[in-house]
Amino acid sequence: MKPLLILALEHLYLATAGVFLATLVGVPLGILLTHYRRLAPVVFSLTEMVQTVPSLGLLALLLFVFGLGNKTLIAGLLIYSLLPIVRNTYTGIRSIRPELIEAGKGMGMTRLQLLTQVELPIALPVVLGGIRVALITAIGISTIGVVIGTGGLGQPIWRGIQMENQGMIIQGAATAAALAILAEILLTALEQRITPRGLRKRKAT
Amino acid sequence: MLRFEQVTKIYSGQRVVDCLDLEVKKGEFLVLIGPSGCGKTTTLKMINRLIEPSEGKIYMNGTDISRLDPVQLRRQIGYVIQQVGLFPNMTIQQNVDVVLRLLKRPLQERQERVRELLAMVGMDPALYAERYPNELSGGQQQRIGVLRALAADPPLILMDEPFGALDPITRESLQDEFKRLQEKLHKTIVFVTHDMDEALKLADRIVLMKDGRIVQAGPPEELLRHPANDFVAFFFGKKRKENEIYLETVDEVMNPAPVTIRPEQGVAEGVELMRRRHVDSLFVVDKEERFLGQVTIESLNREHLRAHQIIELLDTNVPTVLAGSKAETAFRIMTEQRLKYVPVVDTEGRLVGLVTRTSMVNALASVVWGDGISA
Repeated sequence: MKPLLILALEHLYLATAGVFLATLVGVPLGILLTHYRRLAPVVFSLTEMVQTVPSLGLLALLLFVFGLGNKTLIAGLLIYSLLPIVRNTYTGIRSIRPELIEAGKGMGMTRLQLLTQVELPIALPVVLGGIRVALITAIGISTIGVVIGTGGLGQPIWRGIQMENQGMIIQGAATAAALAILAEILLTALEQRITPRGLRKRKAT
Repeated sequence: MLRFEQVTKIYSGQRVVDCLDLEVKKGEFLVLIGPSGCGKTTTLKMINRLIEPSEGKIYMNGTDISRLDPVQLRRQIGYVIQQVGLFPNMTIQQNVDVVLRLLKRPLQERQERVRELLAMVGMDPALYAERYPNELSGGQQQRIGVLRALAADPPLILMDEPFGALDPITRESLQDEFKRLQEKLHKTIVFVTHDMDEALKLADRIVLMKDGRIVQAGPPEELLRHPANDFVAFFFGKKRKENEIYLETVDEVMNPAPVTIRPEQGVAEGVELMRRRHVDSLFVVDKEERFLGQVTIESLNREHLRAHQIIELLDTNVPTVLAGSKAETAFRIMTEQRLKYVPVVDTEGRLVGLVTRTSMVNALASVVWGDGISA
């Protein structure tokens, strides 16, 4: 078996790749939904439905399409991550005070300018919150990847179960947990940095 | 500048704006007022095409605006809204110069313009340009909101209850400030409000709307003095008393029977008249009652041995006001020139009355304590 550090990096790669792809799909989808609001409930119930499928079952289904290996896991992660990312993008933009949109339009912003100069900067922290939730979930789910033949921290856990080696199980599980906590801390910090100064909560004076 | 032709807006079968015809002249401060749901805001937003009319046409400088690109159109029209709507992610500089940025003006020009604008409303650019909206008070935020609309120097500015959300004191100071600004800038302004005081204070012309139609349009005075119907009278009714001081003309506050004398009458007669009527000035009029000037008790005392006729003591250098002018005008002349009274003459030059310090006090008293004291 590969050294733990390599496995951890592999694990991180798998989770990040899934979430990254989900971001590429989810953010534009969320933006699109703010323009076609009637579609929003449909899309949300669809993604929520997917969310209820057990991860093992979903991966098994995807196995038919992508076969054994990382591809299947990444596809599964993409699907799982979609909901928090689409939802947060949508609500992030929808919760912008309507007068800001009206002001932006009234000033003569095009749709795109309104999106890039007003909507996205203001919604960004919320969008990032969705990505953070997705990444933490993905780090957890990635451990199951081992059953469809991926690398990552699922390997020591699986191997430990087979060999009845508790130390090995704990090594894998603890490292995965540490990765999740690390991701949480880093992304929360990033969220705060990325929040425009004018939107940060002011300390009471 | 702006012309509405049979403009109608229908929302789910309801005619929110109904066959509206309206013209806004260049440099005019037009106030749209009316009860909520009267269509005033809808009317305003059709000008920058945030709302499209269902029927009819709106022309700006002769061009049908529905044929213009809405984005380009809006960049030429200033827009101020009640909730201010400053972008919280942008600094004051970025908020004010947002339209200039959309127009791709160079940074240096934008910074200069923002400095100039901030200075215009008494906000130190060094202190405020790099701040964020949430670091300003409500009044300051709306000042920035107004500056944002002025930044690209648009000839037309739309204002949707811009001072409505402010506390009364801040509101008044912003109104005053904006009025001063407008006197310098001469923009064409379409201003929506439901606040009658605000309309009376700012408007060149008031358009009173109800159920999507214009009930009456005209200068504030006209709506107050000649309401077209009971609705107008009722709408302005309460305000009318409160604002008596602004609204009264000299005709209402003047003493209509000042003591007069003919120029050919004798000086002794004049002295006798003053004694009998307890006055220290006489107003000299000719046969047609035309005002010639005055004689005062001082000149009579000084010159009564030398002079025989009133005409010899006539002081023609007397400021007068025209009948029908605002009482305020007469009061101002009196205070500024330290006069005890101002004669009121009609267009033919006939003496019709006299505004005195007593009438001034009475008019003020009637505002403070209500009617009944007024002379």
